[in-house]
Amino acid sequence: MATANPISDVTPPPVPSGVELLVLAASMPPDQLETVLSRLSEVLPTDRLLIAAPDLPAPEAYPALRMIASPATKSSWTLTASDYVNAAELARKNHAHAILMLGPESSSLSATALQHLARTVSTTGTDLANPLYQLSPNAGLVNSAILYPLTRALFAQRVRFPLAIDHALSLRMAERLGAVGQRYSGLNQGDAIIWPVNEAAFTGYAIQEVEVGPRVIPQPIEFDLNAILALVAGSLFADIDAKAAFWQRARTLPSARTPAQQQRPSETAADIAPMLDSFRLAYTNLREIWSLVLPPNSLLGLKRLSTTDATTFRMPDNLWARIVFDFLLAYRLRTINRGHLLGALTPLYLAWVASHINITASGTDPERHIEEVAAAFEADKPYLVSRWRWPDRFNP
Amino acid sequence: MRYIFACIIQTDPYQSSQPVTIDSSSIWHHMSDALYQSLYRVLSLLIAILPGILAFFIALVVFTVLGMMLSALLRRGLAWAKFDDRLTRYQVSTEWTPSHSPTELVARASFWGCLLLGLIIGVSAFDASYATGTTLPISLLPYLTHAVGAILLLVAGNLIARFLARTVLIGAVNAQLQYARFLALGVKWLVLVVTAAMILDHLQIGGNVVELAFGILFGGIVLTLALAVGLGSRDLVSRSLESHAERSSERSVMPPPAGSTGTGEKLRHF
Repeated sequence: MATANPISDVTPPPVPSGVELLVLAASMPPDQLETVLSRLSEVLPTDRLLIAAPDLPAPEAYPALRMIASPATKSSWTLTASDYVNAAELARKNHAHAILMLGPESSSLSATALQHLARTVSTTGTDLANPLYQLSPNAGLVNSAILYPLTRALFAQRVRFPLAIDHALSLRMAERLGAVGQRYSGLNQGDAIIWPVNEAAFTGYAIQEVEVGPRVIPQPIEFDLNAILALVAGSLFADIDAKAAFWQRARTLPSARTPAQQQRPSETAADIAPMLDSFRLAYTNLREIWSLVLPPNSLLGLKRLSTTDATTFRMPDNLWARIVFDFLLAYRLRTINRGHLLGALTPLYLAWVASHINITASGTDPERHIEEVAAAFEADKPYLVSRWRWPDRFNP
Repeated sequence: MRYIFACIIQTDPYQSSQPVTIDSSSIWHHMSDALYQSLYRVLSLLIAILPGILAFFIALVVFTVLGMMLSALLRRGLAWAKFDDRLTRYQVSTEWTPSHSPTELVARASFWGCLLLGLIIGVSAFDASYATGTTLPISLLPYLTHAVGAILLLVAGNLIARFLARTVLIGAVNAQLQYARFLALGVKWLVLVVTAAMILDHLQIGGNVVELAFGILFGGIVLTLALAVGLGSRDLVSRSLESHAERSSERSVMPPPAGSTGTGEKLRHF
């Protein structure tokens, strides 16, 4: 771990009044941090740049950069409440105008991407610049299945990656997220997930999506799909529940962006047999639990799927939308224990993944299918709103 | 005829035969006396405990009405003070909050609290009149308390059994265990057996027989499961322990595996 030399013959640059951009880097290996610092130095003016990181290199290596140590937080695969609290505090202390938060593995972001993210907030008046990653078709599946469609349908935001691990924030956006994170930190829940896109939409702040190209996405250490899906989906459901008064009003979705031609790496189709086995086993054993949450139409659709051959396995988009909405309603109404509810969602999500793989293997563009799924969520929003306002405890 | 009987039952044959006469009407008289006395005792007992029964019902009704009034007052007062909004503003963790609003919960708790108090007072009044109305050293209140405790044990045991069974079922299904349903059923019945043993012990029914039977049954089930897991899935357990040891040796955020963006079939859910 590098420590600052208190007696140095290198004179640090004069401290300007206020900082234009505060870069808050997550804990990462020294070589990755040096790569990030080099790229930032290339594309951004260093005189009004402040770098904050838990483990800093020696100041002699970057004499033009001003660096301060940030509080070390628990290493996580995504940004947590503690990260936003630290960002807000550092921004306030150093009078930063904009904040660029970089998660683990951010050395895979190009210099241009870093520049675009930073400049979007500092020059266009945007409060939240969210990155649009260029990922392989088999990556970010939870985001494609649940997070993006729900965010688009309910908060009317075309943000492809609502749970991004890099953000550029304005000072007021950072303070808003810091206040939200403080509530969690005060309850000793510093690892809680915060949803910046939802907060920005709720507060009426400007959001913009920035294409950043390919990025290496870090994975959770102890990868238990059941636990992590429950954590992420549960956090999003709770946030949606808290902002019910906002998203129930009809809102206009921004026009679709024209994506740049992205060369996605082609991948061979993944084996869907284990996922189908998991779904069929769950249908046999969890049907009674699903019947407490899902209406008869959805159960009938699942019954048909359970007998469908692997080669023709397709989950209709509106069925998946209804399933997610019904689980969201059951989460709110506490129809069953929330831990059980989110555990029962995992096999259904795997069924959607298997269907998505089949559809993309047949030649359909993965992004086109995901946009169709999101459109199905939008089309079924009135169903969610009506059941939310008049919860009928149906008992089929 | 009576004379003959008297001679037969004469004990001393050397005594001069003295004629012994028995009045048959006295037997019926004694019998009817006994009946009248027992009837008198029971009726006296009933009359003695009637005020206690009346006190029980009056206490129950009065406290039920009080509970309803208190519940309505609390509901209106808390709604006026916006108790729900204040609570949810500072409440972040929603995992264990009640399914109904906090106002409703407080109102219902106050109603049931008053009802329970009325029940206790009524039973206590009934018990007092019962104890004074009879010479038997039996007090009804402790046994009723045990019965209420047994009912609470039964309810709690059922809830815990169902919760654990559902948890095991979902976990086993997500772990792709084919015998998930049997596992869940086994867990449920284990908990129910423990609950039944606790209830019988609480009611002091069966004594050592119940304890012994439960110990043998439960110990047998656990031993069977241990043998089944230990002998039947040795390889699975050792593989699981090895993979857990490998995972725990990695102490930082895992980068994605090399080559997964190009040619791999690996799915990444996040």
